[in-house]
Amino acid sequence: MDFSIIIESLPPLLNATLITVLLAVVSVVFALILGFFTALARISKIKVLKAIGSFYISIFRGTPLLVQIFVIYYGLPQIDIELNPIPSGVLALSLNAGAYLSESFRAAILAVDKGQMEAAVSMGMTYGQAMRRVILPQSIRIAIPTLSNTYIILIKDTSLVSVITVTELLQMSTLIIAKTFEPLTIYLLAAALYWIVITFFTALLDRLEKRTSRHVA
Amino acid sequence: MEVIKISNLKKSFDDNIVLKDINLNVSKSEVVVIMGPSGSGKSTLLRCITFLEEPDDGVVRLGEIELEAGLQHNKQRKTAVRELRQNTGFVFQQFNLFPHKTALENVMEGPIIIKKMDRHKAKEKAKELLTKVGLADRMEHYPAQLSGGQQQRVAIARALSMEPMVMLYDEPTSALDPELVREVLLVMKELAKEGMTMVVVTHEKEFAKDVADRVIFMDDGLIVEEGSSAKMFNNPEQERTRQFLHDVSEKV
Repeated sequence: MDFSIIIESLPPLLNATLITVLLAVVSVVFALILGFFTALARISKIKVLKAIGSFYISIFRGTPLLVQIFVIYYGLPQIDIELNPIPSGVLALSLNAGAYLSESFRAAILAVDKGQMEAAVSMGMTYGQAMRRVILPQSIRIAIPTLSNTYIILIKDTSLVSVITVTELLQMSTLIIAKTFEPLTIYLLAAALYWIVITFFTALLDRLEKRTSRHVA
Repeated sequence: MEVIKISNLKKSFDDNIVLKDINLNVSKSEVVVIMGPSGSGKSTLLRCITFLEEPDDGVVRLGEIELEAGLQHNKQRKTAVRELRQNTGFVFQQFNLFPHKTALENVMEGPIIIKKMDRHKAKEKAKELLTKVGLADRMEHYPAQLSGGQQQRVAIARALSMEPMVMLYDEPTSALDPELVREVLLVMKELAKEGMTMVVVTHEKEFAKDVADRVIFMDDGLIVEEGSSAKMFNNPEQERTRQFLHDVSEKV
């Protein structure tokens, strides 16, 4: 194995890792917002909202992410919606992860003891106040483990957007291999970089989980 | 003067009629203890008073606030329900403290969020209330760090923080270890002495004898009998009351 190849490939690979992290972070922010409101829609008493939420979840959990990426990037231009590769990737990843996150949120909200809502409204809080002040702070703590899980999967799924020419970590590796003919070295390097990124975020989320549960027996 | 006036209250869950036709008035500073076998509708009655359960039929009046059951849930109605609840302190069997907040924060929450009270003022008031229930040295503790008796006392302070016209207690000592029951009952007794209007669902006979101005015996969704604690415990008229009192005092 030639070490100079590693040294030469590392800077472009690290740059590409930044793109990967960026894709993951931006997508997870949108996914969290989307997932949160979908969860609220799903537990609301308004039937239309409920139905829209369920439909969205069913579509994005029921089809492969790769197909969703193709539909957005190659399909939408046919009806005159043309998105660049990165926005297409972010859109697909957000919509996909949002569907999973909304289920985590919904489960977490429902997991908060029924007595908490009763205690809040029995004092005279509105539903919104009770949600904001009492239910959601507790459900976020409950949701963190499944949320980290979804986020880790999302980081790995960013590799799928390589198929629409986004030069993230995997795509960059493939490009370098085309020049160097060292697939084993380069792909292992890419794997190591994915592992480092994911380990970093896992540790961060573990700490967040510990921090939020310190007062709870 | 009547603080609570409940007229013709009815409630069923599916086919199960829990409250058949309840009429109950509670005067200012009166302490009413409701007893009865499990499933007799005591808790449901208490929950219907604050519309934690929506009654099927009847009228609940608290001071000037009047709420009729079974009306549409429009905005005006929701406001009225909230107003009713802000004026009733509800104490739950399972305490239901907010676990992510300290004792102090639990007691400050209502005044700050609902009454929009100044934070500093709310804090002073919360400290006062926690001192009153004997927890001056536990203010910064989280519920998980408190015993059941302490948690229930925080819950009482939290209910008091809204300055309610009446306190409703739903079996406040049933979830407690026996040695912790007394400290909660003492706080309740102290409040009664100060003239707080209270409705208490409990099985604590001694508390009823000691504190209650009136004891109500419920069975099968109806008020079977009511009267002073002396009459109810020494000389009940109804066979069902006698049977119940006999059952709860039966030593094994």
